[in-house]
Amino acid sequence: MARMTRRQFLTTSTVSAGALAVAGLSGCALFRGETDATNRRRVVVIGGGWGGATAAKYVRLADPSIEVVLLEPNSKFVSCPFSNLVLSGARAIGALTFGYGGLGDYGVKVRHEMATAIEPDAKRVRIGDGTLAYDRLIVAPGVDFQVEQVEGLAAAQDTVLHAWKAGPQTVALARQLRAMPDGGVFVLTVPPVAYRCPPGPYERVCQVAWYLKTHKSRAKLIVLDANQNIVSKTALFRAAWQAYPNIEYRASNKVVKVDAAAREVTTDFGDKVKYDVVNLIPPQRAGTIAVQADLVGADKRWCEVNHLTFESVKAPNVHVIGDSTIGLPVPKSGNVANAMGKVAAVAIVHRLNGKQPPELAPGNTCYSWVNDREAIAVVNTYKIENGKVVQIEQKLTPGQSAAVAQNSLGWARSIWNDVVG
Amino acid sequence: MQVVIGIALVLAAASVAGAGPLDTPGAMKALNCSACHGFAGQSAGDTMPILAGLWPEYFKKAIADYASGKRPSTEMEPYAKQVIQFGVDDYAAYFGGLKREPTKIAVDATAAGRGRAAAQPCVICHGPDGRGDRAKLIPDLAGQPPGYLKNQMMLFREDKRSPGDPSLKAIKELMKSLSDDTMSDLAAYYSSVR
Repeated sequence: MARMTRRQFLTTSTVSAGALAVAGLSGCALFRGETDATNRRRVVVIGGGWGGATAAKYVRLADPSIEVVLLEPNSKFVSCPFSNLVLSGARAIGALTFGYGGLGDYGVKVRHEMATAIEPDAKRVRIGDGTLAYDRLIVAPGVDFQVEQVEGLAAAQDTVLHAWKAGPQTVALARQLRAMPDGGVFVLTVPPVAYRCPPGPYERVCQVAWYLKTHKSRAKLIVLDANQNIVSKTALFRAAWQAYPNIEYRASNKVVKVDAAAREVTTDFGDKVKYDVVNLIPPQRAGTIAVQADLVGADKRWCEVNHLTFESVKAPNVHVIGDSTIGLPVPKSGNVANAMGKVAAVAIVHRLNGKQPPELAPGNTCYSWVNDREAIAVVNTYKIENGKVVQIEQKLTPGQSAAVAQNSLGWARSIWNDVVG
Repeated sequence: MQVVIGIALVLAAASVAGAGPLDTPGAMKALNCSACHGFAGQSAGDTMPILAGLWPEYFKKAIADYASGKRPSTEMEPYAKQVIQFGVDDYAAYFGGLKREPTKIAVDATAAGRGRAAAQPCVICHGPDGRGDRAKLIPDLAGQPPGYLKNQMMLFREDKRSPGDPSLKAIKELMKSLSDDTMSDLAAYYSSVR
């Protein structure tokens, strides 16, 4: 957030500084499992990604008298958007990495601890041996991987990387790519829908292909896609790939097995494909805590929610936002998670103040870089119809351009600020 | 003693519950805008305009033009339709009621100086400091991000913003006479006006 705005916000909420001091006094007692001595309302947020961090901040912005505790085990926020550019070398991971200190300026209490269980009946979250009571809970754990769906993957996770959560795996995969011999084969596998960031694998294809074309001209990129076609921005990616004859794209090729010793993956047709480097993006489901708390549907993968408030259809006072959700006509994107975080925050503040939440709907702006300087984009906006989120329009850029890439830089700077700034 | 003061403050805080800075329809509806245009319309990026302080009638014209495709934009066309869907007046009133803080994007002082010298033709319509003319819906350029200002000049030059609009003939002819470098200088100048 811009400095001015933060100052402005702090001015409007000077009263709450005293409230925070009180919460500080009672905070330790709460972690020993005692009940809340004060009558302050508390919102607990599980997960400090695009949705969770945004929601935590916006609850405080909407009502500074509400205490907000954000539980996020990682000490840094690393942006998945733009992390594909770390593979090609067009961006450094440091440029995508932010601390959580900015949220403290809004009075969000960030605890770098893992929520281990949710107890909806008792309205509390378990953190190791202690518990933390809530009035409203926001569950934003992102995705986890269905490692068991790929034979051999569980034992090979040190070398067979997904790099689908930006961070150490992104850097490690970039290193593998650089160390690959010229003339080698890089295999990239795309999981079946639904998965985080529909266009992400295809942007990654562009970035790896661009790197190979530029630095290892005899190398090849084989894409094994579990889906029947490119899932998102299809025509734009097809056009972009014209510049990369080193891509061999195989649709409807679901990878079911990996043999790290033999450097080989196997598809559901039994085809074996040798690799020098593999990037295996596994099938996905809602973050583990959402599955363990039985917030998921019959498929045991994703969480159904109320479209206006993001309340779980399975547990009262529990809201699920971001990639863990299903049932809205929206992609699993950072921008959508950010928008859901705001809608949920406003709804929760209304509920906690005995008011009817307004009808708000998300939007989605999504850029993909197709080389080191050009990008494409898709934009979706939504409205509410009969209590459900309905798409107003989807619009794609007419082609790839440097101007779109410049817009994406503006978007990134702005939205990172909106999430953790 | 500390506890007593604390409790008093908690009660004071409780009394303002719900009276946060989002407590107007426009503020809540505009939350979708903040992903790109920043919280309270204070854009942090170089390519998105600062919405805070836009005259409501100018904001509404821009939204109408984006929605109709008169101002072609992949990003803004769907969002403009969403703004109209949810009620453009609320957004316009909200942003219009905020004070524009100048962009934090730094510009080269030498370029801004060259831009100031080259800005004579702009003064005729936009005024001596680029503050615009509300009655004629000629926008206030001061403090907007330089990337946004330059993009608009290029769109005018290429007749991609409001193509064929006779009221914009003069600015488009002017833009055709300017080099890319001069546009950058002008953008730096108007962005730096305080």
